[in-house]
Amino acid sequence: MTAAASGGAGGAGGVGGGAAIGVDVGSTSCKVVLVDGAGRLLASLLEPTHPRTEEQTGRLVAALRAEAGAELPVGATGYGRKRVVAARVLTEITCHARGAHALAGGGGLLVDMGGQDTKVIAIGPGGEVTDFSMNDKCAAGTGRFLEVILARLQVPLAEVAATAARAGAPVTVSSTCTVFAESEVISLVAEGRPVEGIVRGLHVALASRVAALARGRLGAGPVLLSGGVALNVAMVTALAEALGRPVQVLPGPQLVGALGAALSVLPRPAGS
Amino acid sequence: MIWRRAQYEVAGRVAFPMLTALEGWQRRLKGSRRRPGGGPFGPPLESVGKLKELMSHHYFQGRYADGAVPVAWVSSGFPVEILRAAGFHTVYPENHAALCGVSRLTPEYSDVAEARGYSRDLCSYVRTDLGSLLSGKTPVGRLPRPQLLACCTNICQTVLYWYRELARHLDVPLVLVDTPFVHGAASPHQLAYVEEQLEELCLVAGRVSGRGLDAGRLAEVTRTAQEGSRLWGECLAASRARPAPWTGIDGFFHIAPIVTLRGSEACNDYYRLLRDELNDRVARGVGGLKEERHRLLWDNLPVWFAVRRFSTLLAERGFNFVSTSYTNAWAEAGVGIDPSDPVGSAARTYTHIILNQDLPNRHGILRRLSRDYGVDGAILHSDRSCKPYSIGQVDLRERLAAELGIRVLLLEADHNDPRSWAAEPGENRLAAFMEGFE
Amino acid sequence: MRSEEIRTQRERHGRKAVAVLPIHYPKALLTGLDLLAVELWGPPGPPRGDQAGRIQAYVCAVVRNALAFLAGGHADAVDGVLFPHTCDSLQQLATLATDLGGWKKPAFTFLHPRGPDRPSARRFLEAELRRLAGTLEALAGRPLTDERLAAALALHAEVDAARAALLEARARLPMDDTRLYALLRRGEWRWPADHLIELRAALATLADRPVQRGLPILVTGYVPEPAALLGTLNQAGAYLAADDYAAVGRRVVRAAPAPSADPWKTLVDLHFAAPPCPTRAADTAPRMAHLAGLAERSGARGVLVHVQKFCEPELFDVPVIRETFAARGLPVLVLEGELEGTLSGQAVTRLEAFVELLGAAGRAA
Repeated sequence: MTAAASGGAGGAGGVGGGAAIGVDVGSTSCKVVLVDGAGRLLASLLEPTHPRTEEQTGRLVAALRAEAGAELPVGATGYGRKRVVAARVLTEITCHARGAHALAGGGGLLVDMGGQDTKVIAIGPGGEVTDFSMNDKCAAGTGRFLEVILARLQVPLAEVAATAARAGAPVTVSSTCTVFAESEVISLVAEGRPVEGIVRGLHVALASRVAALARGRLGAGPVLLSGGVALNVAMVTALAEALGRPVQVLPGPQLVGALGAALSVLPRPAGS
Repeated sequence: MIWRRAQYEVAGRVAFPMLTALEGWQRRLKGSRRRPGGGPFGPPLESVGKLKELMSHHYFQGRYADGAVPVAWVSSGFPVEILRAAGFHTVYPENHAALCGVSRLTPEYSDVAEARGYSRDLCSYVRTDLGSLLSGKTPVGRLPRPQLLACCTNICQTVLYWYRELARHLDVPLVLVDTPFVHGAASPHQLAYVEEQLEELCLVAGRVSGRGLDAGRLAEVTRTAQEGSRLWGECLAASRARPAPWTGIDGFFHIAPIVTLRGSEACNDYYRLLRDELNDRVARGVGGLKEERHRLLWDNLPVWFAVRRFSTLLAERGFNFVSTSYTNAWAEAGVGIDPSDPVGSAARTYTHIILNQDLPNRHGILRRLSRDYGVDGAILHSDRSCKPYSIGQVDLRERLAAELGIRVLLLEADHNDPRSWAAEPGENRLAAFMEGFE
Repeated sequence: MRSEEIRTQRERHGRKAVAVLPIHYPKALLTGLDLLAVELWGPPGPPRGDQAGRIQAYVCAVVRNALAFLAGGHADAVDGVLFPHTCDSLQQLATLATDLGGWKKPAFTFLHPRGPDRPSARRFLEAELRRLAGTLEALAGRPLTDERLAAALALHAEVDAARAALLEARARLPMDDTRLYALLRRGEWRWPADHLIELRAALATLADRPVQRGLPILVTGYVPEPAALLGTLNQAGAYLAADDYAAVGRRVVRAAPAPSADPWKTLVDLHFAAPPCPTRAADTAPRMAHLAGLAERSGARGVLVHVQKFCEPELFDVPVIRETFAARGLPVLVLEGELEGTLSGQAVTRLEAFVELLGAAGRAA
């Protein structure tokens, strides 16, 4: 298991009692963050989710507590949230809203594209959730959709954005059902269509599916993007095109939920 | 009102014929793009030009209908004779949605409806139509605003919800004709209920149109509609010949007049022309395909966005749909209406639409069509968007195959939404089905 | 429990049992003929047996599960099945199961008029009720006299009144949702007179003032399955304060019409007095007025729309429900299910997030 720490131990040295830890146990990765009393991100750890949630999160929390030198309170979120020893347990909807609100400095519409689901969350001016929707029981509109089909095309995730950028016009992929799209893509390749164009077409198809979730909830505020898929520049471009609005990728897009969980146990939540 | 009426009449009598003539002249200048006899198909039907003219005329004149004549939006199984006799210009949202489907506009329009909260699991006609209404987009230029919405539950209960939503968005009154489902035979109280509603409809239609409803006119329209159904039936029956003089896919497009112009002389004139051409082709042994090797039956709505693709795939291997339960429904139903008892006969006829009857009746129709048209295979389109037409097909497939000794394919698709159609595996299944005949 | 009730009613009272598919049916006809109605809402969970494969996967789980259940012999304890015309899919199931295989015992249909309350609809309904009664008489082996029907109507009026009282006074009832709904849903299969006793026992526990401390929610939808949904809501700090589930509140006549001297007329009146239901082609305006009324009376802070995937009657109303409550500032959660046996993690997250949202909105206000 590799642990990626974004903050140095020195930076976290004197956080004192006002700080907090947030844990986001997702279906694919487990994220733990440390914030100071003002809600600033000091350190983070990210690992693939282990089946033994209690053990894994216990170990990661202990590591950050050691770094902070204090028994900081823990806020937990994500699918595995109920198996984390925590002072407060909240859903990832509420935590993403709080995290995004802190990072963006206000409300807006957050699109969170994770591996297994995509969430659209309308965030009010105080960081509260005013409405939300999630895609239903189907990989269409999730990171999984891209993962499955890119694997078929043998395009490594690291090269996706560059590949899509090289494309001229996107090749139309009409199916947004993962199963259908997979066979459609196979036939497009068989027809000799350029892989670059297909990759771009996949992003366009996925973006249109996500935009359909978001469209009815677009307000005056900015469109924010979080989740692992936000690291994919091609997806950001496609989503902005589908919505006809600029899309702002939040810093540390995978950590937004964990950040929100940490903020939820701060004695004085940032922004309140 | 008078000015609007003049525009409507001019659009129908002068402007449209001029546009058609102009288009024909331009086509001649460019030289015909159609290669006669190209591909696996037989020579194209001469009547097709007239069909395009007829339908374009209908939609073109419709642009000027509101304010000029009373307008009603109507479901396909509705007893339209009453509305026509009261002077309504009728618009069929189902036909309009199918037009959008053929042009592959459903995903775009559906997105608009979905953004308003309509589930993607709702019928794709409805999503297309509501998306078109809410976005103001349509490929026909403009649809006239209705004064009346009219739907009948004999094709599904979905139309009821669909029209209720139209009524809400357009703020227009809705008349509902409720036809209770028929198990075995319709009961007397069932028919009395429908007849009473039709009597109510006569009053409403006359009142909304402001023209009243003349009994003589209703008998006349009924006679015309009955004749239209009979003529349409004769067109379809031409395909009992070998080779069939046209393709089943031609039939899907030629159904438009009997659905949308039923009860008008223009509809009947067209079908006389078509029937004569088909019979002439039969006499000369001209087929819809150059080489007809296998004859198929189609059940359920067409897959509008892939109709041409399917017909080509099939035709390339010598397969033709010589009969479809869908086009047959309009031939069978209408002949039951009777000018001597327009309301009573309409109650009986419109209650006995194929989709308003039990599965043994459906089974009987499919069996009869299979025998009458001498088919050696059938494709049952399992239509995600049409539950009443699709539930039961798994059993019907087995029974038809066993009883008639024919190959039967259950093909999963959707009548309007290409996003619900897995093109690759679907076409593979179609190819494997055809290979089974060799 | 159901099979035990069927056995008990048969052995002790000589009553036959009729399985009934959703949603609306004239239960008093069955009671008046000494027939025990046992409702079949799916049943939930994966289909029992492979017969569900006879219906395409894009059809709702209610219909697919019901076919598998009937064809698998799991309903053989009953003497007949009643198929009300509820929607296109249930209607097709009626002909599929009885005509093409799946159910061999007696089958009954009930076609209710769709659309507004009009004289033609009333005449049709009465004739249809009499026809249904005639076919049920053959199964029961006794005639349905006006006296028996009137007595059954009186019993059902009491049951309805008790159910309405429990639902309307929800906040004063010291009982969690899991227990309350278990009680209300026993009415789907218990003999009505026995059910009335337990309803009255629950009514006797009503407090003078509100005892429910959670966030009040209005629910509309099909059926409260999986039942774990109720516990999840309660644990998250909310409760169902007003009910428009098709299986529960939507079948409780709140303002019962005065009984007529002619029991058949009373039956017809009851049909048109029931809360608006999309499966009976209710117009959206009265339905939204009914839902808004429920929300107001219960002080609901949010609306849960709990629908079944592919259920057109319910799905068509989702946009207008959203609009109606957006205008009133009440958040709406649409939760789609497929009659699962257990509540998915995603569904739990949505419900909890919704309660968090309502809590935050309450604090802000």
